[in-house]
Amino acid sequence: MKIFICAALLLFSGVALAARPLPDDSIYQLQDSFFNQDGEAFQLASRRGKPQLVAMFYTSCKYICPLIIDSGRGVDHALSPAERSGLQVLLVSLDPARDDVAALDYIASKRKLDRSRWTLARTEKSGVRKTAALLGVRYRELADGEFNHSSALILLDADGRVLARTEKIGAVPDQEFLAKVKAALAQP
Amino acid sequence: MRTSVLAFVLLNAAGLADGVSANDNYVLVPGGEFKSALKYEDTQGKVAVASFELMRTPVTNAQFLDFVRKNPPWQRGKVVPVFAEARYLAHWSTPLQLATHATQQQPVVNVSWFAASAYCEAGGARLPTWGEWEYSAAADGTRRDARSDPAWREQILGWYAKPSNAPLSPVGQSPANVYGVQDLHGLVWEWTEDYASMLVSADNRAQGEQDRLKFCGAGAIAMDDRENYAVLMRVAMLSAMEAANITSNLGFRCAKSLP
Amino acid sequence: MVCKRTVLTEHSVHAGAHMKISLLSLLITALLFTTTGCSQDSVTTTAAGPPLPEDTGGSAKGDFGPPVGEPINAVLTSPPMVPPPTGRSQPAKVIVNLEVREVEKEISEGVKYTFWTFGGTVPGSFIRIRQGDTVEFHLNNHPDSKMPHNIDLHAVTGPGGGAASSFTAPGHSSQFTFRALNAGLYVYHCATAPVGMHVANGMYGLILVEPPQGLPKVDREYYVMQGDFYTVGRYREKGVQPFDMQKAIDENATYVLFNGSESALLGDNALKAKVGETVRLFVGNGGPNLVSSFHVIGEIFDRVYTEGGSRYQENVQTTLVPAGGSSIVEFHAEVPGTGVIVDHSIFRAFNKGALGMIKYEGPDNLAVYSGKEVDSIYLGDKAASAAPVAAAAAATASGTLTLEQQVKAGEALFAGTCSTCHQGDGLGIPNVFPPLAKSDYLNADHKRAIEVVLNGLTGPVTVNGTAFESVMPPMSQLNDDEVANILTYALNSWGNEGGRISAEDVAKVRSSTPRPQGAAH
Repeated sequence: MKIFICAALLLFSGVALAARPLPDDSIYQLQDSFFNQDGEAFQLASRRGKPQLVAMFYTSCKYICPLIIDSGRGVDHALSPAERSGLQVLLVSLDPARDDVAALDYIASKRKLDRSRWTLARTEKSGVRKTAALLGVRYRELADGEFNHSSALILLDADGRVLARTEKIGAVPDQEFLAKVKAALAQP
Repeated sequence: MRTSVLAFVLLNAAGLADGVSANDNYVLVPGGEFKSALKYEDTQGKVAVASFELMRTPVTNAQFLDFVRKNPPWQRGKVVPVFAEARYLAHWSTPLQLATHATQQQPVVNVSWFAASAYCEAGGARLPTWGEWEYSAAADGTRRDARSDPAWREQILGWYAKPSNAPLSPVGQSPANVYGVQDLHGLVWEWTEDYASMLVSADNRAQGEQDRLKFCGAGAIAMDDRENYAVLMRVAMLSAMEAANITSNLGFRCAKSLP
Repeated sequence: MVCKRTVLTEHSVHAGAHMKISLLSLLITALLFTTTGCSQDSVTTTAAGPPLPEDTGGSAKGDFGPPVGEPINAVLTSPPMVPPPTGRSQPAKVIVNLEVREVEKEISEGVKYTFWTFGGTVPGSFIRIRQGDTVEFHLNNHPDSKMPHNIDLHAVTGPGGGAASSFTAPGHSSQFTFRALNAGLYVYHCATAPVGMHVANGMYGLILVEPPQGLPKVDREYYVMQGDFYTVGRYREKGVQPFDMQKAIDENATYVLFNGSESALLGDNALKAKVGETVRLFVGNGGPNLVSSFHVIGEIFDRVYTEGGSRYQENVQTTLVPAGGSSIVEFHAEVPGTGVIVDHSIFRAFNKGALGMIKYEGPDNLAVYSGKEVDSIYLGDKAASAAPVAAAAAATASGTLTLEQQVKAGEALFAGTCSTCHQGDGLGIPNVFPPLAKSDYLNADHKRAIEVVLNGLTGPVTVNGTAFESVMPPMSQLNDDEVANILTYALNSWGNEGGRISAEDVAKVRSSTPRPQGAAH
């Protein structure tokens, strides 16, 4: 009986969520088209429903980007299995020219990312600029094709509103940020 | 042949009759190598600017009004706050009407980077990059690079010294530079496509000692020519902005890459 | 290790007085000194003098814990006023709202300048808090500003003094929070590139972090801040003057001023105190370049908290205030009269405007000072009553200057500069300085008169039948309006034949005749 009610509630809230308009301050308002590591097209709004960790990276990045993935992992490992199942991770490439679907797929496999929850995505150059602007990420393409970019891990709520951000990158998560992730996951 | 000529003339006449310049008036800016005032570590400050097209003057209130009429999501009151903050187009009397102090030919201001980008994209264009902007702005009436002339600098500093409480002049009043572009100085600050790429610290005294983890990779840009305060100020202004921000003295113009 | 009372040791090493000191005792003394490892931790006595107090402990001991009670909105004041003492004994949360405005104001009579300000004034609003306070700082940049601005408070321990967290575009606001860990009087200023230009345009002020026990009570507290200013035009050249970057780089100041204008502390704006009162001045120096030799003519500072720190020196005549630094001076008013506040790097006081006044009212105290009031001879044209000069400047700006206005302004200026030698009645001094009254020399040739004022005159000259051979130095530091008004006054006084000299006439002579060596423009 309890399970039935819980399921009904979940279904109800999911439906209710979809029916409610997207909040004004949600970054999912961006309508550009994205592709994931499996080549499937999606819009950001389709990611509504669960809290999200978002960051920007590129596959040929030598310095910080591996650390960004480690940061996402670090948060994952600090969560209980129940909490973890409620969290999604989205990494958007700064370098759509070279990060095609195959490159994203390669990295996802190489780093053994849980594809049910982790998405590596690409969009066109103008979409990259806008995504970065919405996330507060600054970047510049260098002459050799590398990028200078600010490194941040951003927590979004189930509706795509920014809840928290941290610039402390590394396998050991920023405790304050982690606390906010847990709080977001505790929401019904 | 005659009908096409006639059509051409008619089309243009129609454009002019709107009161809005239908072709948005682009000029060709021939490319070249250029020493930027921003000291890029990867290129020793030298930037190669490819030839491109730039609007002769900033986008006007009239042109932007035409755009929002055709693109309701960008009207004041309808625009999503995440794309433009509260005072977006505050100087117009209504979302679809200008005002006595916001005339047709004044450069449009109180627009965010998202709104400016959307306008340019709607016209098959984009915002100019900082490099393209700096390159175009280095010119005066007779020289492609007038930056070493103290008079050029003083004139620009003189504009900086005036607060922004006087009405804006209409576009196209200042003398054109050697490329035929006007109003790059003395009218409004202008958005660039990559204003957020400047990666300068808010505290510009810490130049060259950027937190290396904060800006991934080779570290952030430092200002090279400290005496070229005219450029420094513009970088400082853009660095202070976020994409959804507006100010009453910041407008934009569009650029196009050559095929 | 604790220092032993080393009185004995110090006497032992008085080499001059006690010639019999053996080398051995000297060696032992030296050994004692090094092995005891004298530390500063406890009270030490020297051969003579009071015990030195303990250190405040600096920032390491400056955190008094979280704020207590309701948040307080800071009271900010415009110069020269200072907010009242906080009177607090526990740390508080203080909310500061400071607005940045770009305003055009007069820097000198008839000379306008676009200042960038904190709170609409130069210097900016005075902020007063207590050590240990947590400050929630809001920097608001007015929408009419052309430029983005930020703030670096020297009281802040943190990156850029707050500058990194407060970069604010026009029409926007930034917020950051800091805890004031050190007591003292601190400068704040804008640190947006180019920093020198923002500071030169007036973006500085003072924040006082009171020591935990507060400052000793005084009767009056005032806020005085010096700054150097750089304009394209010359000193006192009328009109709207832009900032001159090259002069700023060359450190060639056009104006050196207290509180942002020549008249900020003169005339009706002079500071006031009563005889018998103690006065404290919170003195700042925004720079951008020059260090101040701060002095009050006719006063001695009983106490100077050097560089705005925690300890004071006593009995000081002139104290240094670094650019980007401060000082707190205290003195006691004994006699009525006027104290003249100057930068004693003296050309700045008399030729660039670094001059203010503090007026003491009350009964005479002849035992202390029996002489007369500060003399116009000393102050030159600074003592000139401002009103007719201001009226003439305003009239010149609007193109309505009348003969009468020129004469009145000229009279005030003459009293300051020319009466020293030619006397107030224009009669001069027999055989020494020629008369101007009923002067055939003056009336005969106006152009020559202008030349004499600008270029001076040496060698024999005959006036009204009498020969004079003296030296008149060039008065080329006076600008065109001043020379025109003075000569117009002279021509229309003391039975002279009348006439009118315009600033244009003077300009013509200035540009067509050579100045002697060492004269000003």
